[in-house]
Amino acid sequence: MHDNIIDRSKDITILELLDRVLNKGVILSGDIVITVADIDMIYLGVKLMLSSVETMEQLKSGRSIVEK
Amino acid sequence: MMHDLIYVYCILNNPVELIRDIDSMGLKSLVFDNFSVIVKTVSESEFSEENLKRNLSDIQWLESNVRDHLAVINRFMESNTLIPFNFGTIYQSTESLKKFITDYSDSLKENFLHVGGKEEWAVKIYCDRKSLSDRIDELSTDAAALEEQIMASSPGKAFLLKRKKADLIENETDRLCKHYGQKYYDEFKILSESTCLNNLLPKELTGRMDTMIFNGAFLVSKNKVSDFKSTAELLRTKYGSICFIIEITGPWPPFSFISIKEKK
Repeated sequence: MHDNIIDRSKDITILELLDRVLNKGVILSGDIVITVADIDMIYLGVKLMLSSVETMEQLKSGRSIVEK
Repeated sequence: MMHDLIYVYCILNNPVELIRDIDSMGLKSLVFDNFSVIVKTVSESEFSEENLKRNLSDIQWLESNVRDHLAVINRFMESNTLIPFNFGTIYQSTESLKKFITDYSDSLKENFLHVGGKEEWAVKIYCDRKSLSDRIDELSTDAAALEEQIMASSPGKAFLLKRKKADLIENETDRLCKHYGQKYYDEFKILSESTCLNNLLPKELTGRMDTMIFNGAFLVSKNKVSDFKSTAELLRTKYGSICFIIEITGPWPPFSFISIKEKK
């Protein structure tokens, strides 16, 4: 059986996926395509998401200290 | 008035009839010349230029659509050679898609030859620079020599030498990253038909504490894939103790090895 990556894709991070499907600019041919500027925006969104997860965790751990 | 758009997943190099359960997912196979283009009809409300750009900033929408894009391509990858399209490639009409296929048919054929019988594997290497610099005296003769000098010096001189060593550690860590990165690359390269270097991703994106020092893709013949994987395993054992972490993923659709040139 093929141990294919996509079968395990739930374990693959969104970042790894984006790194494959966006980064190479494989075929910039459609009538509508995602441009380099869009890609920058997408990564900015991912960055914000990651940093907000971090902030949440910091807040959570901060709160637990206060509760003690 | 809204009209439908054509979302493209991939091109296959043989005419494929879709079985019913795939049809029911809204996928269609459009056959032009000897190519099948796997598409889905999508609505302007979601995929028009303006709406697509808006949706791209919605991480949940993005993630579910990117996963869908790869899942569809993967279904066809198991039994076909294919050319994957980037996520979010849309045509206004069948005619305009057909024009693309006809205009680029020679280039498409060349690409099918290039990727046929091969798989794309991704390799990312990370370095725990902190641990590496903590062990620098073992790994760098220059650092070890300077450390010896510091030990033998008066406090005043030792202070100055320590400042010098801080710079040396930084440089030597860089050098070791390059040195081992190259070693890894060479080992994988000899098992590959083609290689491609991708951008290094910063820590804010990887969300990891260690530093990405290599991000590459390798096009590997199917009969060499098991060697490729065991090489990764071997390297993991060999250099893992020197603070390098290697991650390989695959097989991916050959996104990194497609190059479409316009017909002259």
